[in-house]
This record gives sequence, C-alpha cells and structure tokens, in this order.
Amino acid sequence: MASISLKNIYKIFEDGTTAVNDFSLEIADKEFIILVGPSGCGKSTTLRMIAGLESISKGEMKIGDRTVNSVAPKDRDIAMVFQSYALYPHMSVYRNMAFGLELRKVPKDEIDKRVREAAKILDIEHLLKRKPRALSGGQRQRVALGRAMVRSPSVFLLDEPLSNLDAKLRTTMRTEIKKLHKRLGTTFIYVTHDQTEAMTMGDRIVVMKDGVIQQVDTPQKLYDKPYNMFVAGFIGSPQMNFLDAVVSIRDSQIYLILADNEINVTSVFKDEKRIYNYDGKHVKLGIRPEDITNDAEYVKKNADKVITASLEVNEMMGSETYLYLDYSGEKIVARVNAPATEGEVNLLAIRTDKIHLFDPKTTINILF
Amino acid sequence: MSTKEKNMLGRTLIYIVLTVIGIAFLSPVFIVLINSFKGKFFISEEPFSLPDKDTFAGLENYVSGLEKTGFFSAFGWSLFITVFSVLAIVLFTSMTAWYIVRVKNKFTKALYYVFVFSMIVPFQMVMFTMTKTAGELGLDTPWGIVLIYLGFGAGLAVFMFCGFLKSVPLEIEEAAMIDGCNPVQTFFMVVFPVLKPTAITVAILNAMWIWNDYLLPYLLIGSEYKTIPVAVQYLRGGYGSVDMGALMAMLVLSIIPIIIFYLFCQKYIIKGIVAGAVKG
Repeated sequence: MASISLKNIYKIFEDGTTAVNDFSLEIADKEFIILVGPSGCGKSTTLRMIAGLESISKGEMKIGDRTVNSVAPKDRDIAMVFQSYALYPHMSVYRNMAFGLELRKVPKDEIDKRVREAAKILDIEHLLKRKPRALSGGQRQRVALGRAMVRSPSVFLLDEPLSNLDAKLRTTMRTEIKKLHKRLGTTFIYVTHDQTEAMTMGDRIVVMKDGVIQQVDTPQKLYDKPYNMFVAGFIGSPQMNFLDAVVSIRDSQIYLILADNEINVTSVFKDEKRIYNYDGKHVKLGIRPEDITNDAEYVKKNADKVITASLEVNEMMGSETYLYLDYSGEKIVARVNAPATEGEVNLLAIRTDKIHLFDPKTTINILF
Repeated sequence: MSTKEKNMLGRTLIYIVLTVIGIAFLSPVFIVLINSFKGKFFISEEPFSLPDKDTFAGLENYVSGLEKTGFFSAFGWSLFITVFSVLAIVLFTSMTAWYIVRVKNKFTKALYYVFVFSMIVPFQMVMFTMTKTAGELGLDTPWGIVLIYLGFGAGLAVFMFCGFLKSVPLEIEEAAMIDGCNPVQTFFMVVFPVLKPTAITVAILNAMWIWNDYLLPYLLIGSEYKTIPVAVQYLRGGYGSVDMGALMAMLVLSIIPIIIFYLFCQKYIIKGIVAGAVKG
C-alpha cells in the first residue's frame, strides 16, 4: 500500500520532444486514478515513468516516502498490466504467474498458494497448465492481472488493459477490475483513451493533452464542471456542443446572442460577477446533448430559451434518440426522448442552468 | 481445357521438375554409397553400376579407410570444432542481435550493416591474409578455429536473429524487468527461449557448413588436427594414386551424422527461416 507523489515531472526525449510537461499529482493510498486523453497525450509515458521503464528527465517522484527517480523497476514494488498482456509465450499460465515470485526467491509452497488463490479469484484455475497461445483474449487478460496480483504490489499500473478486447468483454472486465481494486485495497493507476472506462472506474480522473494535465477531479465534477473546452469535449458521449455566442446585458437582463436566436440566462448568471466582464464580447457556449430538449411542453414554458435548428438525421438508440441538427451551419447533437421529423425546422429548448461558457481565446471555462 | 485440367497439368509439371531436381541432388550420394561397397579397381571402370558378385567388396573399403585415415580421431576433431563453433555462434550472435535490435543508435545501425556485409565477402578473398594473421595470433588450434568460425558464421546468424527479434514485443522484456529480472536474466530466461526456433535454424545451418568445411581447417590446422574432410583428402596418395574404395567409404561415414542431424531438425529449419523472413 502506498501513496505516490509526482512533482513537476518532465519527459523530454532525445530528439527534443516534450512528452510530459510539468506533471504534478498526489495520488492517495488505495486510490483508483485514471489517466485519460487522446493518443500521444503522454499518459502512457507518465505510467511508464512511474513503472521505471522510462527515465524521468526532470522532477521528483516518490512512492510512499521513498524517492524512486533512479530506482530500478523491480525494486519499486509495482506490478504492471500491459495492453498486449506481455505474457511469456514459452511458459505455462502457472509459471507466468509464478515467475516474479521465483525471481524473488519466495518459497515454493508459498508461490503455489498465492498462484492458486489468484487463479481462483480470476476464475482461471482450469487454465494453469496451458500456454498463452492456447488462451482467448479475455483469458490472457485475466492471466496478466493474475501475474500482477500474486506479487501483492503496493501499486498496480494498468496500460490500456481492455483495448484489445471486444465491446462485451470490455464491459465485463471493467466491472471485474473495479471489484479487484476493492478487494485488493491497493493503489491503481489506469491508463485509457476511452472516456467511458475513465468515467465508470476511477475515483479521480486526470485528463491530459499534449503532455499537460488539463484537469484532475472526480468523474462527476469533471462532467459537471469542466475546466476548459478540451475537457468539456473529451468527457461525455456524444460530446458537448459548442456554439458561438455574444454576451449582452441590457435592462438588468443577461442574454446570449446566438446565430439565429437570443436566449435569456439571467436566472442562472445574475449573481455571477465574472459574466459582466464579458458584456458585448464573444464567448463559446457549451451545452451537453441531454440538456437540449424538444419536449413540447418544456419548449412552450421556456420560450426565451429556445433555438431553431433543422434536423438532419434521427439516430434511434432504443430508450432515447440522438438528433443531429444544423444550427446556422454549426452541427449540434441533442439527446431526447422522442424522434423528430427529418428535414424540418425544430424548436429546441436549452436548459440554461446546465450551460458552460468558455473564453474563445484561452478556451478556459469563464465560470470555473 | 477446363480449369481443373489446367491445374492437373500444372501440378504434374511441377512434380516432374521436382523429381528431376531431386534425382540430380541425390544421385551423387547414391553413387558414393554403391561404390563404397565395390572393389577399388572397379569403381573407376563402372562407376554407375550396382555391385555384383565380382565387384562386391563387403566392408573391406570401410576397414581400410578407417585404418588409413585415423577416422575416429578426425571424427572427434570435427565434432569438437562443430559443436563449440555452433554453440559460440548461437550464443554470441543472439546476444549481439538483441543489442542491435533493442539499442537503436548510429553505432548499432552501422554494426548491423557490417554483419550483413560480411555475408557477401567470399572466403577465398580473405583466406590467405586471414590464415597468416590467425597463425601469428596463435589461433591455429582447434580452439582458435572456433573463434574464426564464429567470425564467419556471425553475419548470417545476426541477420536471422535480428529479423526474428524485431517481431518479439518489447513489452515481454519490460514485464520481465518489472517481475525482477536483470538484463542477463531477461536474456536467458525470457528472450532466448522465445528465439528458440531461430536458434535451432542457425545451429543447423552452421553445423552443416562447419562439419563439411574443408578449406579453413586444411589451411589453419590441417597438418596437426585433421577433421573428416581433411582426413579423407589424405587418401589421395602421391603421383595421383587414389584409393577410391576407401575414399567412398569414408565419404559415406562422414555424411551419415550430418544427414541424421538434418532429418531430426529439418522442420525447424523451414520454421525458423520463414519466421525471420515474414515477421522481420
């Protein structure tokens, strides 16, 4: 069990590329942390630096009270699950799991006990004699988890462990890993580019872009209060809609002037002093698909919060419908209960208490 | 002509061509074998006829060959040189290839090309300078020749190991490092077992070449330590007289071990060459 402290960590490669830029994070003991971001954002490099597989160019990293910048991977008391599972192809499942303990000269009966315990938890007892090539993707995944588990490490590192599995198995394994975290009570650091995995599994999420942390928070806070447009767009599916708007304050009323409509946001922002600095200025209005509705009654009641957009496509999802709309050339998506007529202009109301306003230059949430 | 008939015709043609090639390659071995049982005076007269009542000499040629050549001593030296050279080639070139593939810089790139280049340098080009230098360095011993074989065998072996290693995921080695391996343990416990098919192929190709090699042992250690090909050559007496019977018998004895070795390992040769070629 251990906390991890990363202070001003940099990774600069020989060709001068900065993969990780001033990364600082405190990870509590037993926490489940998710590193998420698009490809090339530095999340895997960060994980590899924690594992000791990449050197740290600048900064200080501690596991527990120990500075580990120059400690070899084997001495960091960590275990890692790789995207490709990285099982030893010439060893049986049993030996794959026992190998790390054998190297540490753990007595044989103790190794046997631990391997069988882990195999029981992961439901792979019947596979112990097989070679990795005789296993399915999901089974290999379990063996890779088992190999990490038997070591009882202080920190579990998982590098996109589910990305090679099919959609159904991924959902099952997501729950399994979450359960495993609770059962083991160990610090987990999990890298993924899948925001659904990030939202459903982590205690806290670290959103990264171009080697820089964009925001660190709990999944719900990240969703409700994104720090900037990148986080707002990255978290949530379908992603948040962004519309150009101008703030207009007249007669003690606050309006957002959009391309074809004007919506009144006084009730939401009247006590928000920062909005007054933007009077007459351009902002980006962010609204999530589920906060746009075509419910006739709601639209009727909130006539000053209505926009008109023409519907291009209905996407029926069973319990709900995605409307793909064209709003003065800007594409927006709404998640509603009932489908609408394609090709026609629709009246849609915006739930103004759910909107986000971003500075178009800095892309930062002006109300954060 | 239907497609089926065309396929049949094509296949028959391939069989005919392959049969002709097969016969062409096997007939010398067969001729040596039948002649080894004929009296030595009949060999030159009727080299292609099977032994009959008059010409059959039993094991006479074998007995006389073994006496004249010191075959068992030659067999010992051939075995010694082949085994240790192959071990050295497999061990050191696999390590070298691992270094070349995993440590990517200008030096390793240049090193790789040096190894590849060494494959195309014919032995005859370097043979006199090399034997002279080897003699001056005191390498004209069975141990010294092992070192020289390592040099000559390294090019192809490094090339083949590099081809295969490129397809081995780095993550396996990283997992080993996290599991607690130092670099030496990583190589011997994780990397080398994965390389087994290529290692076997390299071993077989080099074993066949070194076992059959005549020129290098003759030039370097021929006067003191005779390998089988060198010993067999000594059956050629002065003034062009050759004991053909003993010569044929010794040739048969010398190719038996390598044929057995090949038959046991042939599936690995194909597996290893294909693995290197496709995945590399």
